[in-house]
Amino acid sequence: MNLLARSRSWLNSMVKGQRLENEMETEVRFHIESYAADLVRGGFSQEEAMRQARIEFGGIESHKDAMRASVGVRWWGELDSDIRFGLRLLLKNPAFTTVAILTLALGIGANTVIFSVINSVLLRSLPFREPGRLVKVSFDDLGVGRVDTPFSVPEWEDLKSKAGVFEDVAAEWEASVNLTGAKQPERLELLVVSPNYFSLLGATPQKGRLFGPQDFALGFAEAVVISDGLWHRSYGADPTVIGRSVRLDNDLYTIVGILPPSFRNPGRTIATDVEVWATAGFAADPAPKPARNVRIVPAAIARLKPGITLQQAQARLNVMSAQIRKDFASDYPSRSQWTVRILPLQESLVGRVRPILLLLMGAVILVILIASVNIANLLLARASGRQREMSMRLALGASRFRMIRQLLTESVVLSLIAGAVGILTAEVVLHSVTRFVPFQIPRQSEISIDWAVLGFATLVSFLTGLLFGLVPALQSSKADVISALREGARGSGYSVKTHRMRATLIVSEMALTVVLMIGAGLLMRTFWRLLHEDPGFNSANVVVSSIWLPVPNDPKVDPYLGIAHQAPFLRELLRKARTIPGVELAGIASVLPGTLAANSTDLNIEDIPADATQKLSAEIIRVSPDYFKIIQTPLVGGRFFNESDQADALPAAIVDEATARRFWPDRDAVGRRLGLGRYWTVPWLTVVGVIKDIKQDGLDINGVPHIYTSVYQDRGRDLNLVLRTSVAPLLLEAQIRSEVQAVDPGLPVFNIRAMNDVMESSLAQRRFSAELVAVFAAIAVLLASVGIYGLLAYLVKQRSQEIGVRIALGAQRANILKLVLGQGGMLAAVGICVGLILAAVTAPMISTLFYGIHAIDPIIFLTVPLILLVFSLAASYIPARRAADLDPIIALREA
Amino acid sequence: MGKPLDLLQGTLDMLILKAVSLGPLHGYGVLLRIQQISGEQLEIQQGSLYPALYRLEHQGWIASEWGESDNKRKAKFYTLTATGRRQLHSETEKWNRMASLIAAILRTTPEQI
Repeated sequence: MNLLARSRSWLNSMVKGQRLENEMETEVRFHIESYAADLVRGGFSQEEAMRQARIEFGGIESHKDAMRASVGVRWWGELDSDIRFGLRLLLKNPAFTTVAILTLALGIGANTVIFSVINSVLLRSLPFREPGRLVKVSFDDLGVGRVDTPFSVPEWEDLKSKAGVFEDVAAEWEASVNLTGAKQPERLELLVVSPNYFSLLGATPQKGRLFGPQDFALGFAEAVVISDGLWHRSYGADPTVIGRSVRLDNDLYTIVGILPPSFRNPGRTIATDVEVWATAGFAADPAPKPARNVRIVPAAIARLKPGITLQQAQARLNVMSAQIRKDFASDYPSRSQWTVRILPLQESLVGRVRPILLLLMGAVILVILIASVNIANLLLARASGRQREMSMRLALGASRFRMIRQLLTESVVLSLIAGAVGILTAEVVLHSVTRFVPFQIPRQSEISIDWAVLGFATLVSFLTGLLFGLVPALQSSKADVISALREGARGSGYSVKTHRMRATLIVSEMALTVVLMIGAGLLMRTFWRLLHEDPGFNSANVVVSSIWLPVPNDPKVDPYLGIAHQAPFLRELLRKARTIPGVELAGIASVLPGTLAANSTDLNIEDIPADATQKLSAEIIRVSPDYFKIIQTPLVGGRFFNESDQADALPAAIVDEATARRFWPDRDAVGRRLGLGRYWTVPWLTVVGVIKDIKQDGLDINGVPHIYTSVYQDRGRDLNLVLRTSVAPLLLEAQIRSEVQAVDPGLPVFNIRAMNDVMESSLAQRRFSAELVAVFAAIAVLLASVGIYGLLAYLVKQRSQEIGVRIALGAQRANILKLVLGQGGMLAAVGICVGLILAAVTAPMISTLFYGIHAIDPIIFLTVPLILLVFSLAASYIPARRAADLDPIIALREA
Repeated sequence: MGKPLDLLQGTLDMLILKAVSLGPLHGYGVLLRIQQISGEQLEIQQGSLYPALYRLEHQGWIASEWGESDNKRKAKFYTLTATGRRQLHSETEKWNRMASLIAAILRTTPEQI
């Protein structure tokens, strides 16, 4: 009721605070003077009348205060004065203020940076129309342990017509493509999509048009859409580029549209980002004739019908796939257990980085907690110095609530200043930080500080202020007036209770530090284990570069169609490469170790019945004869490939030791036979050699079996030129390019780098997260040491009189030293024990991030406490030394 | 005339509204008016009048305006608003009901139970 009048009067008084004061003053004076005048008329003297009037009016200030409260401005007035008082206190102690603000700003800044990454990557929805309904569709052969297998055009039709849960389904095929016609051929990342891809996502062009039904073609349509990046890089943002021809993998296309800068393909990419989109029906050249078992399309995205939940859709798809398996039994071997699976598109993009991001968030939260505890401790120390102020206020009638409010206002002022510093720092460093993040965070370019991040950071600052302010505030407002004033008079002002509180804070700080250190330790140890993992080859002095053989849409003009075309080209390529000065050996591999390839296929072993329930799939890697010699992988049995392993010879295969042991545990693998592919039509491959295990998929992955075939027998388009040389990659680049293009001038050569770098980058994500958490842990150790030092230094100062007496009475200085050190050691020990328990509980929760170690790794769980104990004792030593060196005379005189 | 009575808890607001309902008054005037109608029998601490005035104005029951007092001085005059009038009316009714109820209770003799 009367909200209007109330808010008007409140607003009035807020805006016109000074006017309110003046008016109150005038009104009160008028009252007193009028009354005094009446009294004078009644016979009082002027002076006596004024006195009497004032007495009868009562306490002017307290009435004014009540008047302010009546219009609701007192609360604000108090807040205002508390803030001013807090700021004055901060200015009075510049050392304390600087330390506190820097500590907190560090914590809040770290939280802001990590949260802004999490916000953009995990929380913000994808920049498409109704992103909640977008899903990724995957096909799994669970029976043979393969996920994300390709699918056939009829299966795609089933999704659209039979499933009944999708509004639309778009097929995708990510590929490399060679852009020719410019000075240098360039390799681009291409996404072949069905024409409904853009409309399904709800994308709009920046210029020109995107694909529509008119672009439907059984094979490839001649229209392509390019990214904003490519438009700028290759065409200088020329608006007339629409309608221009472009030659991709020897075929002519027409550019029909340019995407806006914000558009990024929400899916798997080969290396960087999709720059060209082409559209195809996947049903004619270069794709084979569609049939249910010609599974060639690698990926699909779909939009769910409105109102259908993920669970409902998945249930319907399960029914559908069971029905299809039954209806087309010959196309779906029962052992493969073919199924369709959907996953929210966002989840499919970012699911992989979620654990590591959450881990980093956990680490920065620990840092801010530790920082808060440290500040709480400083405030407690300061509070005991303010004991008399507090007692005085209590004695003068301040309410406890009012005092807690004042103290909390002070700490929140501190934390909000620190928050502002932290957020500003985060804003400045954010982009350099995310640029140095070595792993491909999906949506990396979207990372920014938006309102959500600002809100989060402000909230963190505010909560931090409350957190570190609460304990000291409760503590000092509890002061028992009489004893505090008396204690204060004695100059001690440091109660047992306060000490217990500070000790508890130190213990919890130690415990949190242990958790962070153990987390960092486990990650570092995982990384160290991986560095010392035997990769099964020697990456030193190996230079690699990538080549993509184009696939023209018309097979008749394909220069690399079959093995008969590819083998002579490769022989010539290798011959040329060997002529490069400094190159000792040259070889080819379709997939480099340390790079994940999704080229797995069904594996059939002649000696094992096909319907056995074993999950058999393998990754095929095509290599040239010298490859294993170049990477120095030893032969265990049989022989390497040689030049005569060619088209007309017996198909040969090389397996690694693990594969040999697994399938032929009790006999020699050499001479055994295996088949590749779900419906392999090629004849059996005969194992001719066994090599030592190679960590093919990355050092931290024990992958599927690897089967090596000869590039002269098995065709493919992915090539990596592998050279053994001591020359640096940079110096070789021009020569490699010119030798390759001497064989085919249309071939781009890309990703020229040292094999060491390839291995390095396969570990980059682990290195980065381990190092980052280690930095956080180091900060925590520093803070904890400062905390324990601060507490002991304060104690020694407080007890200097007592210590002086002890020394005067003949206490050994060594004993005094031991006493203080023991106190520090005891606090640390208790904190460490609590921390170890906490860490033992939490470490298994992130065990997916470890490799080769147990979550409760004995070495880490033993060394971390030792390191922290050493730091704590070192921090305790300074005050302990000071206590032991105390001159009793000075100490007693000062007291 | 006996010893002045202390104001009953919560009745000051009602008295102020009543005093102001008889014509615009400044703060000191409100005090004089109450004392006048009560026949000097009520003891009001003078200063406590003002927080009450501010509160009533904040609630929109009275309005204020600066004007000139009888002795040509600047003073703040309070007048009753329409909502204030309604409030006074309902308060009065409540008070009367309460007073007669209490009086009836106090009049009760043993025979009536």
